[in-house]
Amino acid sequence: MMSTHDKVTDDTTDFGFERVKTGEKAGRVREVFDSVAARYDVMNDLMSGGMHRLWKRFTIELSAVRPGQTVLDIAGGTGDLAAKFSKLVGADGHVVLADINSAMLSVGRDRLIDKGALSNISVVQADAQYLPFEDNSIDCITIAFGLRNVTDKNKALASMHRVLKPGGRLLVLEFSKPVSPLLSKIYDTYSFSALPVMGKIITDDSDSYRYLAESIRKHPDQDTLLNMVEDAGFVDCRYHNMTGGIVAVHRGIKG
Amino acid sequence: MQHDPAVIAGVCLVAEAAIARAIALSPGTAPQLAQLHPVELAIACTNPTIDVFLVINGDGEINVSSYRETEPTVCISGSSSAFLKVASASDPAAALINGNIKITGDTAVLMTLQNVLSDLNIDWEAPMVDLLGPIVGHQLANLIRGLTTASKVAHQSARRQLSEFILEEGRLSPPRAELDDFLGSVDDMVLRVDRAESRLKRLKNRVDLLSGASA
Ligand SMILES: C[S@@+](CC[C@H](N)C(=O)[O-])C[C@H]1O[C@@H](n2cnc3c(N)ncnc32)[C@H](O)[C@@H]1O
Repeated sequence: MMSTHDKVTDDTTDFGFERVKTGEKAGRVREVFDSVAARYDVMNDLMSGGMHRLWKRFTIELSAVRPGQTVLDIAGGTGDLAAKFSKLVGADGHVVLADINSAMLSVGRDRLIDKGALSNISVVQADAQYLPFEDNSIDCITIAFGLRNVTDKNKALASMHRVLKPGGRLLVLEFSKPVSPLLSKIYDTYSFSALPVMGKIITDDSDSYRYLAESIRKHPDQDTLLNMVEDAGFVDCRYHNMTGGIVAVHRGIKG
Repeated sequence: MQHDPAVIAGVCLVAEAAIARAIALSPGTAPQLAQLHPVELAIACTNPTIDVFLVINGDGEINVSSYRETEPTVCISGSSSAFLKVASASDPAAALINGNIKITGDTAVLMTLQNVLSDLNIDWEAPMVDLLGPIVGHQLANLIRGLTTASKVAHQSARRQLSEFILEEGRLSPPRAELDDFLGSVDDMVLRVDRAESRLKRLKNRVDLLSGASA
C-alpha cells in the first residue's frame, strides 16, 4: 500500500500551515534556518528543556554503530550527532555531516573544530532528496528533526535507502504525536504560544519558530511515518515513543 | 511497564557523567579499565524491567547505555529488590553472590571490574544537578547517597572484595538500617508526586478553560 501522506500531488506543498509552490519550500525552509543558525543550539536547549540531548542519546544507542563504520547524519545542522558518532566509529570509521543549509553547516564545522572532532568527519552540503553518495555505501543514516522540513519526504526516504548498504540502518528522530490528549493539549499551547515568544526574544524571529511549531503539527504521526519508511523499502521497521510521544524515533533496515 | 527511553537515557547520562568524574579523580583507574576493553557488563533488572549496559572503551572510559546489540561479557540479572539489597548491604560482594542475583558469562571479569571500581568515590550530585536542575537533582542525589555512601562509610573497614569473597565462604548480609532510610525517602517522594499530580490536575482544568474560551 502506498501512503498518501506527503504525496506532492498538485504543484503545492505545506510550509507549516501555509501552502506554497513545491519549488519554493526549500527556499523558505532555508530562510528559516539561515535566520536561526547562530542561536540554534541555545534555542534547542531552551525549547526542549534540554530534552533533545536525551532524545539524541537514545537515537545514538539505537544506531548500534561500531568502530570502522561509515555514518551519514543528514540534516545534521550544527553537528550534535556527528560529534558523537565520530567517537563511536573511531579513526578507522567515517562520519559525514550533511545539511542543505550552509549557515547551519558552518556553525557545525566551527563547533566540531572546537571539539577537535574533525579528523574523521567530512562536512557536505547536500539535499536529503538527492543524496550525492554512491549506492550501498553507508552503514547507518540518521536524520534528526530534519525530515519534516524536506519537501518530498518519500523521495528523501528512497534516496536514503539507495545509499545504505544492505543490512544498513536508518533512524529518523522527529517530533510526533503525543499519546495522551492532555499532554497533546499542553504541548500545543506551549508550542504555539510560548515557542514563538521565546524565538522572538532570543533570535528576534518569531516567524521562524511559528513555522517550527506548525511544521511539527503537519508532520505525519508515528504509524503514518512507519508506513512511509516501509514503503521506501525498509524492513524490520519499528518506532519508539519518547517523552510521551512528543518525539519518536523510527528505525528501518535495508533488507 | 514500559519506561520512557528518554528517562532511561537521562539516568544513563547521569551515571556515565558521575562515573567519568570519579575515574578522573582516581589516577590509575583509567589505564586499569583500558586493559579491560572491550568488556561489556549487562545489568538486567526485572520488575521493573530496566537493562543497563556498562561498556568499557579503549580509553578506559565507561559508557552507560540502555540499548546494545552485542553479547555482553558478563550479565548480572535479578529483581529490583535484589539489586537494592546488594546496594545497601554491608558487604555488597557477598550479597551479590548470595542474593537472588544471577551471574552469567565471565565471572572473573566481573571480579576484576569490581576490584577496579570499588575504590571509586562516585558523586552523583553534580551531574544530576547539571541535568535536572538544583532542586530535583539534589533530592535524587540524596536518595542515592542514602543507598550507597552510608553503607560504604560505615563498612569501609569490613568491606571485602568480590575476589576475596569467592575464596572464602559466603554469608548473606542482614538487611540494613540504610534500607529503612531509603524507603523513608521513597515515601517522601511519593508524597511529592501526589502533590505534583494535583497541581497537574489544576493545570489541566485551566487548559480546558483556556481552550474552551478560544474555541
Ligand atoms: C531542526 S534542524 C535539526 C538539526 C540537527 N539534526 C539537530 O537535531 O539539532 C533541521 C535541519 O534540516 C535541514 N534541512 C532542511 N531541509 C533539508 C533537506 N532537504 N536536505 C537536507 N537538510 C535539510 C535544515 O537546514 C536544518 O539544519
